[in-house]
Amino acid sequence: MIRRLGRRTVLAGAAATAAAGLSGCLQNPDPNSGGGGGGAQKYSEGDVPGTGTVTILGAFGGQEQAAFEESLADFQSESGITIQYTPDQDFTTTIQQRVGAGDAPDIALFPQPGGMFDLAAQGHITPIDVYLDYDALAGTLIPGFLDSARLQGRVYGAPMRMACKSLIWYPKKAYEAAGYPTDPATMQELYAIADQIKGTGIAPWSDAWGSDQATGWVGTDWIEEFMLRVHGPEIYDDWIYHRMPFNAPEVVEVFGLVGELLKGEGNVLGGTATILNTPFSEAPLPLFANPPQAMYVRQGNFVTGFLPADILENLDEEVGVFAMPTWEGGFEGQPILGGGDLAALFALNDDTVEVMKFLTSPEFGGPWAQAGGWLSPHKTFDASQYADETTRRVFDIAANAQVFRYDGSDVMPNAVGGGSFWTGMVEWLQGAKDAQTVCDEIEAGWPA
Amino acid sequence: MAGVTTTTSTSPGEAAASPEPERRAGSPARPVRLLVGAVGMVVTAWLVCNIFLAFAYYPQWFAGSGILIGLLGLIVGIGGSVVFFYFLNLCIEGFPSRFSEGLIPYAFLLPGFSLIAVLLLYPTVQTIVYSFANKDSSAWVGLDNYRAIFGDGGFWSALLNNLLWILIVPILTVAFGLAVAVLADKLSSTGERIAKSFIFLPMSISFVGAATIWGLIYAYNTPGSPQTGLLNAIVVSLGGEPQAWYQIDTARLNSLLLMVILIWLQTGFAMVLLSSAIKGVPEDTIEAGRMDGASEGRIFWQIVFPQVRPTMLAVFITVLILVLKVFDVIYVTTNGRDSTDVIANLFFRKLFVEQQAGQASAVVVVLLILVLPILVYQVRSFRQQEANR
Repeated sequence: MIRRLGRRTVLAGAAATAAAGLSGCLQNPDPNSGGGGGGAQKYSEGDVPGTGTVTILGAFGGQEQAAFEESLADFQSESGITIQYTPDQDFTTTIQQRVGAGDAPDIALFPQPGGMFDLAAQGHITPIDVYLDYDALAGTLIPGFLDSARLQGRVYGAPMRMACKSLIWYPKKAYEAAGYPTDPATMQELYAIADQIKGTGIAPWSDAWGSDQATGWVGTDWIEEFMLRVHGPEIYDDWIYHRMPFNAPEVVEVFGLVGELLKGEGNVLGGTATILNTPFSEAPLPLFANPPQAMYVRQGNFVTGFLPADILENLDEEVGVFAMPTWEGGFEGQPILGGGDLAALFALNDDTVEVMKFLTSPEFGGPWAQAGGWLSPHKTFDASQYADETTRRVFDIAANAQVFRYDGSDVMPNAVGGGSFWTGMVEWLQGAKDAQTVCDEIEAGWPA
Repeated sequence: MAGVTTTTSTSPGEAAASPEPERRAGSPARPVRLLVGAVGMVVTAWLVCNIFLAFAYYPQWFAGSGILIGLLGLIVGIGGSVVFFYFLNLCIEGFPSRFSEGLIPYAFLLPGFSLIAVLLLYPTVQTIVYSFANKDSSAWVGLDNYRAIFGDGGFWSALLNNLLWILIVPILTVAFGLAVAVLADKLSSTGERIAKSFIFLPMSISFVGAATIWGLIYAYNTPGSPQTGLLNAIVVSLGGEPQAWYQIDTARLNSLLLMVILIWLQTGFAMVLLSSAIKGVPEDTIEAGRMDGASEGRIFWQIVFPQVRPTMLAVFITVLILVLKVFDVIYVTTNGRDSTDVIANLFFRKLFVEQQAGQASAVVVVLLILVLPILVYQVRSFRQQEANR
């Protein structure tokens, strides 16, 4: 009985303590920190002093991380700002998780604008026009980049790295020794060469989609390349921005064309089982076996980073590359599909703004260009800094494209571009579902 | 806090009727102590809270040094708790002793209960509430989320997989653990130590690490090229075709192969506990069996086995709960492709990829309901065990 009274008293005491404690606590001096400061229209230096440390979350690790940090070394010693870069293989979900938990990094490097749009729509990201010189940036960047980071009229991220995806790689020595042409004007011409290669007893193509939980993104690139070539950029834009349904006949048609290439008997080394079970980074290896087991790999410029050391040493002699040609009867001009890491700002202060300015300038990236596997998104980047002729050639291909379009799956909402589109591609390739079913399911799962 | 809110009616008359105050001579209330204690508690709590807020809001006051803030946090946190409990004790002692005797245990439990309430009960209730709300928890949608997940074939496939995991993994883990424990018991003491260390070793590997290691075993290479995967290397050397193991969902083979990873990880845990249980079986009971001429098999099944059963049950349930939450292994290998999905992975995808907070909450509520009977059973069997001691 005494205990009963005790319970009451304790409760009353606890309530009183809590009430007294809550009224009279410190208030957050900067309630918008981590919230992007959506109210600010123009940031000027000195508005918010920095802490001297800037945290960056990105998707790349290993050698890429080392090259990235090296590119920042001079900047850090000159500005006195310490940059802490954290790589996360599973960036796409980690960033959502951390921002959701109120633990956003100062700057995040988004490999996909889709995930950035999700967070920008929730008001977590500061638009770049608040703190960067938008017009200067637009003047030096390859056209099309800032448009891909635009949400409801404002641009939320600026690119610090470009990926050029519409590239077909071949083993230069073996390929040229066999006398195959290196400049097919159309995909149909390329198919004719591929048939010749098939006649010699090897598969013309090597392809690999494996990427742990992200398996399937390579497949989305195939669909996008063909959408861009067969139906042209306008329908491509309608498709990626969901102005037309995902299961439109044009898309299903393109699945059919890609299927003819990838599922065709003898077209791809090892068939669909090998494609799905080989890490994407290992796709070029059969090209450099002795004798080569395949002749073509369609993959972005970053694939050179995964080549064997002895090939990398003589990159310009060993590896050939040309732009993935146009589709006869499709869009006329040379389209290039690309991507890029977009730097987006979560915490607005002097130091973070200074880091953003440097990251998104044409001056950034000299050491990374030297190390290889990196392309500047700026037309004005000093191309002599690239380590080899191959990279300069890729940079030329990207800079001179008639149409540059951002990787569509990266623009789509994360639920599609980082979810159902990936899994759909896998199910379609292994034949578990046909193109129509996969497209219908992706359309049905498109976030309203 | 929820645990102490149930009763309401009290009166001094009733209190006086209880036996406790009759045993102890009551001291009168000491209002000064009461007041000092109460004020002290409030001031301490207020100070500690504000110091921690200051760490977050004004790091420049502490020279922006993470180490200094960490150290201060440690001192303020621990020191603050000590001071808080001192005042709490002072306050309680201020009550007439017949009250304070009964109050003290609750007062000291209160912080613990509050932590459980804040960190466990509140999120649980919130999750259940959110499972009736839309994708960003901003409007009620009734049972739509449950309708969506129950109408989704992927959910039922995940549920079936979870069921298979539950049925297979704990039983095999306990069986292997028991077998190893019994057999190791027959070895020389050095042999036993070495054997047990090796089998316990996988316990120290993370799930993701284990998945990577087994990835080398299940790896697939193009037919005709050298097979780097152990399993396919064996298959090919026997004249077979290499198989893409993770893609074979006939009879859920891929799920079974993933289960092997977890069994490999957990057998060591089962072995250690069961081994100590076997060593704890009184020698005289076994001796008695031998005297009566029982065979080794009979001794094991009729004397040792019944005596290690409670431990087996405890291991079984621990592994079972682990299996219900299984996530990492699936996420890093197949991410639920080829019908290998499980509830936890489905939840993760719904929340962080599809951004469907409502459906994700509904999935996790279903998981909670599934775990609940097992938890209740475990707590009850644990109590029984304690009572039997």
